Amino acid sequence: MNEPTVFIVDDDQAVARSLRWLIESVQLKVETFASAQAFLDGYATTKPGCLVLDVRMPGMSGIELQERLTVQRIRVPIIFITGHGDVQMAVRAVQAGAFDFIEKPFNDQDLLDRIQRAISFDSEQRARDSLRARLSALLASLTPREREVLNLVVEGMSNKAVANTLGLSAKTVEVHRAKVMEKMHARSVADLVKMAMQNQET
Amino acid sequence: MNTGSDMLWLALVVLGGSLAVALTLVGVLLLRLREVEQRIPEKESGHESVLDRLLENEFRLRTIIESEPECVKLQAEDGTVLEINPAGLRLVDANQPADIIGRKIYSVVAPEYIEIYRENMRRVFAGEAVVYEFRAITLTNRIRWMETHAAPLRDARGHIYALLGITRDITEHKQAEEQARRHQTELARVARLSTMGEMATGIAHELNQPLSAIANFSRGCIRRLRSGEITTEEMIEPLVEVCEQAERAGEILRHVRDFVRKSELKTKPMDINQIVRAVVKFTEHEARHHRTMMHLQLDPKLPKVEADSIMIEQVICNLVRNAVEAMAEANSPRREITIRTHLFGNDAIEIEIGDTGPGIDEAIMDQVFDQFFTTKPDGVGMGLSISRSIIESHGGHVRAESGGTGASFRFTLPTSEGQTTKHERADSLHS
Repeated sequence: MNEPTVFIVDDDQAVARSLRWLIESVQLKVETFASAQAFLDGYATTKPGCLVLDVRMPGMSGIELQERLTVQRIRVPIIFITGHGDVQMAVRAVQAGAFDFIEKPFNDQDLLDRIQRAISFDSEQRARDSLRARLSALLASLTPREREVLNLVVEGMSNKAVANTLGLSAKTVEVHRAKVMEKMHARSVADLVKMAMQNQET
Repeated sequence: MNTGSDMLWLALVVLGGSLAVALTLVGVLLLRLREVEQRIPEKESGHESVLDRLLENEFRLRTIIESEPECVKLQAEDGTVLEINPAGLRLVDANQPADIIGRKIYSVVAPEYIEIYRENMRRVFAGEAVVYEFRAITLTNRIRWMETHAAPLRDARGHIYALLGITRDITEHKQAEEQARRHQTELARVARLSTMGEMATGIAHELNQPLSAIANFSRGCIRRLRSGEITTEEMIEPLVEVCEQAERAGEILRHVRDFVRKSELKTKPMDINQIVRAVVKFTEHEARHHRTMMHLQLDPKLPKVEADSIMIEQVICNLVRNAVEAMAEANSPRREITIRTHLFGNDAIEIEIGDTGPGIDEAIMDQVFDQFFTTKPDGVGMGLSISRSIIESHGGHVRAESGGTGASFRFTLPTSEGQTTKHERADSLHS
């Protein structure tokens, strides 16, 4: 998998360089951007990681960048860095879906911990996304009848009950069920139930 | 100018005009009379009745002029005062008509206005009606501002033989104008001061940048040094950055120092009640807008305080605005602000600004004067901290209280006498 990257957007180049120096000390990859627009132009959504963003920036503010990302359904976790008196703004940002915020001046460990949490959150989010994508691809390979059988099996019905419900012979249900297990790469009914549950989590 | 005095002036100009007409008529009549005298000396009885009527007319005019509350005067072309009414005598501080009649009007015109006065006289004798202002030095050497409406007086042949002038004292009006102008420049200074709070926030933001950078560079170094994964060579670059950022912070502070130096205290003995009234004047509008009543309980017998009045205005203004905003924010049903002044000990005066708002939460009482502490959604938390530094730089103290009726802020200022005794004490300690 891709190595996570910390994306820093800060109009103050010295601050951006210092953040890079600090964050690289814990062996994280860092990319810096001088403006919100530069980030929008240069960010590849496939790259995992998190975004460290100054609330106040000339041009497009951190908050506006957050709004743009939301509109574009880019779910990279954002950690806002705020100055004095901006806490209110940061709270609103978090309510609007930002991952976290940290007030200047901050403790380095505190920032690094938050970055680590944001990165794990992102990787879990990405893992869930890819699993869901894989599951829906597998489900798409089932025939309508196999789909029906799967749904009833997952509900905990026995072959006989499934056969009765669908008006099929137990033998036919047996065949469908084997096919479902094979197509879904499941070794047991428990596997199937787990997959179905994961698929339901949206 | 209000309509009342406009009307008065209109009336006076009309009166002036009718006086001119009447006086011209008198002249015409006198001329006629002379003709009549020459042509028909035999008709004695008719002659007498015409003369009676003329005398009657003149008497009537004289009564009107003499009872006129504004100065009415006639001047010859060379500036000699021909006639002046009692109001005019009072205006130039003359005891009797002889003090001024027969003398040149220039004797009561301030030297720098004589040329302007002459020019206006020339225009009147050229047939114009004019209005002019000048500074007068009265017979008792008082300096007054005057405004004269002047018109030419013509005889029967249309020859201009005198200037009819109606003059009033506009000293108070002038002073008010001057005061308004002075206040305007002072307001500009206040405006600069109130942006000081905003500037301070700006400075805080500015300073935060290099300080954050310094902290990040240093911590990055410490982490690498602890894990032993940095060479001496690699340390140089971040340390150079640290130095540069420290210099950047220093630069910002230098700007602040320059700014502060420009607004040093200029204290002198001031009437605190006058300062309070000035503040009420320019916060009244805002208070009324938020349906807030302002009450004053000012001790009239207070000694002067040693203060920079603009700075103290700024403090009171800030406290009043806070009170107005707090009561509006809390939607207080009763919104009243009371400003009290009274003697505090022997050598200080206390000013109290109390409101009927929600008061101050006990938990935050200790923080209200702290920098960047604010309860307002878009506040910067500089107002009270600046207020406190202003009061303390005056040698006073400020404190906040919260009771059943609302919040109150009290601050003390040393009286001018108290200040002197303190200096003397300090001097005697040195010697």
